[in-house]
Amino acid sequence: EDALLPAPQNISILSTNMKHFLTWSPVIVQGETVRYSVEFQGEYEREYVNESWIPICECSLIAATVCNITEDISATVAYNLRVRADIGARRSEWGTLKGFFNRITTSLTPPLMKVIADGYHLLVELEDMGPAFQFCVLYWKKGQESRVQQKVVKEVSSVIHLDTMEAGPDYCVKAQTYVEAINRSSSFSQTQCVRAQGGRSMWL
Amino acid sequence: SGELYCSLPKPRNVHFESINMKNILHWSAPEGTGDGVLYKVKYSVYGVGKWIRKPECRNINRTWCDLSSETSDYEEQYYASVKAFLNGMCSDWMETTRFNPLTDTKIDPPMVSVSSTEKSISIILTAPEKWKRSSEGESVSLLQVYPGLQYNVSVLNKKTKKRWFFSISNNTLVVPWLEPGTAYCVSAQIHVTTPLLHSGFSKEYCIATLKDKTA
Amino acid sequence: TAGNKIFHFGSCRISMSVTEIRSGFTAIKANIQARDPVRTLSILSYPHSLHKVKSSDRCCITHHLFNFYVDKVFKHCKTEDSYVNRKISSIANSFLSVKRKLGQCHEQKKCMCGQESTEKFNQILANYEGLNVTSAAIKSLGELDILLDWVE
Repeated sequence: EDALLPAPQNISILSTNMKHFLTWSPVIVQGETVRYSVEFQGEYEREYVNESWIPICECSLIAATVCNITEDISATVAYNLRVRADIGARRSEWGTLKGFFNRITTSLTPPLMKVIADGYHLLVELEDMGPAFQFCVLYWKKGQESRVQQKVVKEVSSVIHLDTMEAGPDYCVKAQTYVEAINRSSSFSQTQCVRAQGGRSMWL
Repeated sequence: SGELYCSLPKPRNVHFESINMKNILHWSAPEGTGDGVLYKVKYSVYGVGKWIRKPECRNINRTWCDLSSETSDYEEQYYASVKAFLNGMCSDWMETTRFNPLTDTKIDPPMVSVSSTEKSISIILTAPEKWKRSSEGESVSLLQVYPGLQYNVSVLNKKTKKRWFFSISNNTLVVPWLEPGTAYCVSAQIHVTTPLLHSGFSKEYCIATLKDKTA
Repeated sequence: TAGNKIFHFGSCRISMSVTEIRSGFTAIKANIQARDPVRTLSILSYPHSLHKVKSSDRCCITHHLFNFYVDKVFKHCKTEDSYVNRKISSIANSFLSVKRKLGQCHEQKKCMCGQESTEKFNQILANYEGLNVTSAAIKSLGELDILLDWVE
């Protein structure tokens, strides 16, 4: 009689910049290809639909030990996740993530940023991190750290105009991401300073 | 004439094409029919119990019908339906999906007007107007329909080929500290966050800053 | 952007990621509305349009409606299409999040219900109960854009 397959272990979430992945350790069965299936359960399912689970079809009978769950974790509530293993007709019990996952805990990294001086104009290029992201860009005249100006950039489309610069002083810029859906921000990027009239971008 | 026997295939792909809430019903002729097909059109307000015929689109041989007037209240949603006739035969009615003018319309780019001085250009943007029954009718800007409307503005320096982007909520933008005697090309796009709607970018409007008198 | 907006219903201020809810709905709108053959009835719009609600009643009606969708509607909308089910789950969990915030406003007496809003909501319930539960739930889900257009 076929032995029951062991349930997947070490189930965990990797979540960075609102991209969420479920990972687990492989179930090893000599000479066999083990396949895995993933299901999720939101707070709504727990409280209103008899704790029902919803399969993620992109992660149904997959050989990989990672599943991109970003599309399904699309509300700021506590989610349950589980994985099971299959070899042909043999099937394991569900392995369930210890504790819930709420996207509010995603780790937010500072944005990649490039500061450009074009004549008297201060410009910034920001990395496109997806629709969930806005950017808070701070800029100031070097030495006048108390008079910082702020610009919120909601849409990243190549080179964004920040302001005009006087000739002479350095202008410094730093940026952080802001995710409205979870009301959290990343730490700031490194500061970069430039000078009007073709000044070079200097890392500080 | 009485409808004899509805064995004609239905009109196909019956759908609204809407720009700035000018809502035109379009369809394709029934499969396998050539010339001579006539159509009639009806529409209904979703949730209200009756279909209403459109007299101006009765026994027409074209495959579109302007229902802008009938669907101008964008707090309502609508269905429309088309029936075909050929040689005494008719088709069943073919319906659209539910049409929501507020979310299903496309928006034209804004109008852009540009002026320049020696070292700056000034840009004035005008959002398109919502369709209106007649030119004397009251003008309603799409700004009133979509209060969260914003503009993305692109400014291209024709000499350096560098392009900058601005995102503004009001409709005017002055770009100072430019190079005298240089051509700049401006185009703009409308962006509404909810419901999520984008116009395309307008065509480019180019203007040169005046030459430096002191040079 | 994620379009997390702060909605002001009098002194009740709540943030709601409307764009996420809308994009979830837009993805299944045609599928869900195609399952609702009844053109002549609306749950939310008739006989009283939501757009006629007084501003003082907005908070209470919104609170009622989010409770209505979470308690009554979503659970009866299961389909044979797993993609549609996943999107419904996403909307339902977002609604649950908002329902909780509105509930807090209600407990803090910032979301009071007048007679008119109670009557309007009772009419919506009557429309809902006038159909069998699955048809009513699918029709209500298909009218989500009516609710979102009004809330915004």
